[in-house]
Amino acid sequence: MQKQTGPVWVIAEQIDCQVLAVSLQLIGQARKLAMELETSVEVVLLGDQLDEQTRQLFAAGADKVYLGNAPELALYQPEMYVEIITKLAKERRPEIMLIGSTSMGCELAPLVAARLATGLTAHCIDLVLDENKILENKIPAYGGLMSIICPDKRPQMATIASGVFPTPHPDDSRTGEIVPLEVPDDIPGLIQTLQVVREEPEGVSLESAPIVVAGGAGAGDLEGWRKIADLSQVLNAALGSTRPAVDAGWTELETMIGQSGKIVSPKLYIGVGLSGELQHMVGVVGAKVMVAINSDAKSPVFEQVDYGIVDDCREFIPTLIEKIKAYQEKLVTC
Amino acid sequence: MLKIVVCVKAVPDPKEAHKIKIDPVTKTLIRSSVPLVLNLIDKNAMEAALQLKEQLDAHITVLSMGPPPAGNIVKECLALGADRGYLLADQAFGGADAYATAYTLAKGIEQIGAYDVILCGMASSDGSTEWVGPEIATFLKIPVVTRVKELVEYDGQWWKVKADVENGYRLVQVKLPAVFTVTRELNTPRTLSFSGIIKARKKEITSWGINQLGVPEETVGQKGSPTIVSNLAAIESKREVEIITGTREEKAERLVQKLADTGVI
Amino acid sequence: MIDFTLTEEQEMFRKAAREFAETKVAPKVKEMEETGKASQAVIKAMVEAEMTALTIPEEYGGLGLGYTARLIAVEEVSKISVAAGMMLQVFGLGIEPILKFGSEEQKKKYLPELAKGERLGGTAVTETTGGSDPAGLRSSYIKDGNDYILNGRKCFITNSHIADTIIILARDEEDPKAFSTFIMEKGMEGFKATHEENKVGMRGCNTGELAYENCRVPQENLLGAEGKGMRVALGAIGDVGRGGMVGCALGLQAACLEASVKFANERILYGKPISSLQTIQNKLADMKIDLEAGCLLGYRAAAMQDKGERCSNEFAAAKYFTTEAAQRAAKMAIDIHGGYGCMEEYAVSRYLRDAFVLGPSAGTSDIMKVIIARWVLS
Repeated sequence: MQKQTGPVWVIAEQIDCQVLAVSLQLIGQARKLAMELETSVEVVLLGDQLDEQTRQLFAAGADKVYLGNAPELALYQPEMYVEIITKLAKERRPEIMLIGSTSMGCELAPLVAARLATGLTAHCIDLVLDENKILENKIPAYGGLMSIICPDKRPQMATIASGVFPTPHPDDSRTGEIVPLEVPDDIPGLIQTLQVVREEPEGVSLESAPIVVAGGAGAGDLEGWRKIADLSQVLNAALGSTRPAVDAGWTELETMIGQSGKIVSPKLYIGVGLSGELQHMVGVVGAKVMVAINSDAKSPVFEQVDYGIVDDCREFIPTLIEKIKAYQEKLVTC
Repeated sequence: MLKIVVCVKAVPDPKEAHKIKIDPVTKTLIRSSVPLVLNLIDKNAMEAALQLKEQLDAHITVLSMGPPPAGNIVKECLALGADRGYLLADQAFGGADAYATAYTLAKGIEQIGAYDVILCGMASSDGSTEWVGPEIATFLKIPVVTRVKELVEYDGQWWKVKADVENGYRLVQVKLPAVFTVTRELNTPRTLSFSGIIKARKKEITSWGINQLGVPEETVGQKGSPTIVSNLAAIESKREVEIITGTREEKAERLVQKLADTGVI
Repeated sequence: MIDFTLTEEQEMFRKAAREFAETKVAPKVKEMEETGKASQAVIKAMVEAEMTALTIPEEYGGLGLGYTARLIAVEEVSKISVAAGMMLQVFGLGIEPILKFGSEEQKKKYLPELAKGERLGGTAVTETTGGSDPAGLRSSYIKDGNDYILNGRKCFITNSHIADTIIILARDEEDPKAFSTFIMEKGMEGFKATHEENKVGMRGCNTGELAYENCRVPQENLLGAEGKGMRVALGAIGDVGRGGMVGCALGLQAACLEASVKFANERILYGKPISSLQTIQNKLADMKIDLEAGCLLGYRAAAMQDKGERCSNEFAAAKYFTTEAAQRAAKMAIDIHGGYGCMEEYAVSRYLRDAFVLGPSAGTSDIMKVIIARWVLS
């Protein structure tokens, strides 16, 4: 008698009662995996004042939603969230557990994985089932693609960034079972989230920008970085970065594009003074046109773009900005 | 006296890490001789420990799991101002994923003895999972706050810290002992000083293997790792680049023309 | 078995010096080039990084690290800025005579403050009548009671304006064969720094003139035995001065090579990077051989110095070799850069100008050869 494969789980996330796009994307992908495994998709959502949200989850592909809906769960409370999820996981024995790689997800996932003594993979840019129906997590590494599997332990856990998988078309005809979850009363009480403060992000959000200009180490210094910022402004683009630029302090972690950062799908991507490291380039998905400006003719970035300019970006950008402005003026006048 | 343990990692120098490539035929890594350096964000963890030592009464132990060359980065941390160093080095620890790494480090910390605060960089520049800090906390059965970008209150049993979230922060209250993983925003790390290097002469580094930790082989290294690498493949690019040539002016003009023609601007 | 490697600790010193140079000196290079003046920010940072304390023993408030550590520090700083490296090396040059020839009172008075950077040092020998011929100098002193009255001028003195504690060599007015060294302090009446030079290279290193007119110098500022000053001055310059030049030159050689490799890998001609062309590779090989040889000569001499052995000859050879090599390296770097090498935005044009100032500093190449010939023929 064949053992029934456990469900494919998605730990969904909501901020101010808005379900995050990444959660819906993961439910979409979970649906595909579940069909191959001949099992169901179950979603865990924790928060407070959640009424309408389950509908979205079903419409995205969930068969069952475990809903924790209480004031104590309004903010991400590590002890409670971890306790609820691990207790439920021990009961329901999911085959796979997917979590969005948000700040919460990146903390929650390893806490759950360690409690369940199972394997976890980060920065996946694709999830498929291999010939043994084991989840194959593909992550970019060393200029290539590494596949990581968790052959024995269950659930097989993975965190994925927003934008790796498409947001599924909602099927509003879908419904499912809602299972209410209780707030645990036996938590140690050693850690408490007191408040969460967020600001509206300035400018165009990277994930939705039609044009993205990304800068890297080639900016050289803050002055060079500003020139790249000027370029993004003149194009009305969103400004992204690579890790070296963040480490150098020229820009915030929030602007970082790549496997550990944001995923973007612009019409036009211009990579300035960056080497085209895979960890960054995988963050650029489905761009119509890709351009690179780099002073090193041998840079690997030139193998991954449509148009290349070999030049010192600090010298080239002012000239480029001139030409763009001239072009824009012509557009206005004709 | 506040007892701090800082977990640090020796990683391939990020400036040269691109030289490590996948051999498309054998599907293994071609490691050229890229030197190992202290993981950049771990410097922020060290700096946090040093600032705490300056403000409160504290003792800093540095712990790292890695091959013997990793001993140099432990020494570097002693030169920065840590008091004591431990290196977990054994062939048995090799090939560990984040889970086994965290487990081994947690065992090391237990062996070190009493601790109040464990500091780690948020992620390493090579693996970059962000898992090790939280998993250490789980194995030690203590709380963790990840992505700490500011210490708000920190002179008692209960600390208040700000953790980084998208476009803002999370204010967290936590009881010691606890693990904190830190971001680059937390502080500006100091550089090595000559007198620090001199003082480090008298500081001890102890190396522990699997026997000293007293753990079974199946719990560490590759054997103790729930995940394994099943495949390494080279990536084929689907784009063919056109390098635009000419004088600087010409290149800029031609690029703008191409972008206009393809309708993206 | 000869071990040519630096110790682990010395490698850490190098790391610390490199971090210092990259974070504290590099941002000031542009300003130094434009103004030609020493950067107060760099001086402050050097003091904070304990670089003025390297060769001063711990009992006088220094780090007691010795001459290899000093060479490492000067070399790393010079990779980023030869001007800053030169300034640093001359701080050491001002410390050395007090260290080697000072009385216990003098050491206690000056060394702790020099270590902390509360005093900045220099040594002045050269005059318009001779640098290569120090015996031709005209500055003179005459005894007046227990004091000395000094008259004269020095030129081409590094740190002339920024140093406050300067070792001056002068001749006895009454006995032309006798020379003495004095510890001069800014603030002594009649002693001042006058004209500041505007050099074409090593910009950011202060070079200028000193003048002392009827300057009264107390007895306790006589350094070493009266009449034996030549030994004091040349002794310091011979080892520490030349050693410092070696550091500057090695740093510059390394910078030239690094810039050349980078450019050669990026510059495409005939469809490939010029680093694939043999003529370019020849130059890179030459630079590399010179750098390896220069390091061995320099660090060998510094190792001898740390052991307390006489090494002014070894340093003469190292100084000659490395400063000449730096000039060759800079020229080759310019050649490799082609037209770009003549443009201000490319550092190599600065390297060329810096390289040529290395030659006449702390003894010209011709004088080095005289010394080496003497060594061979002795």
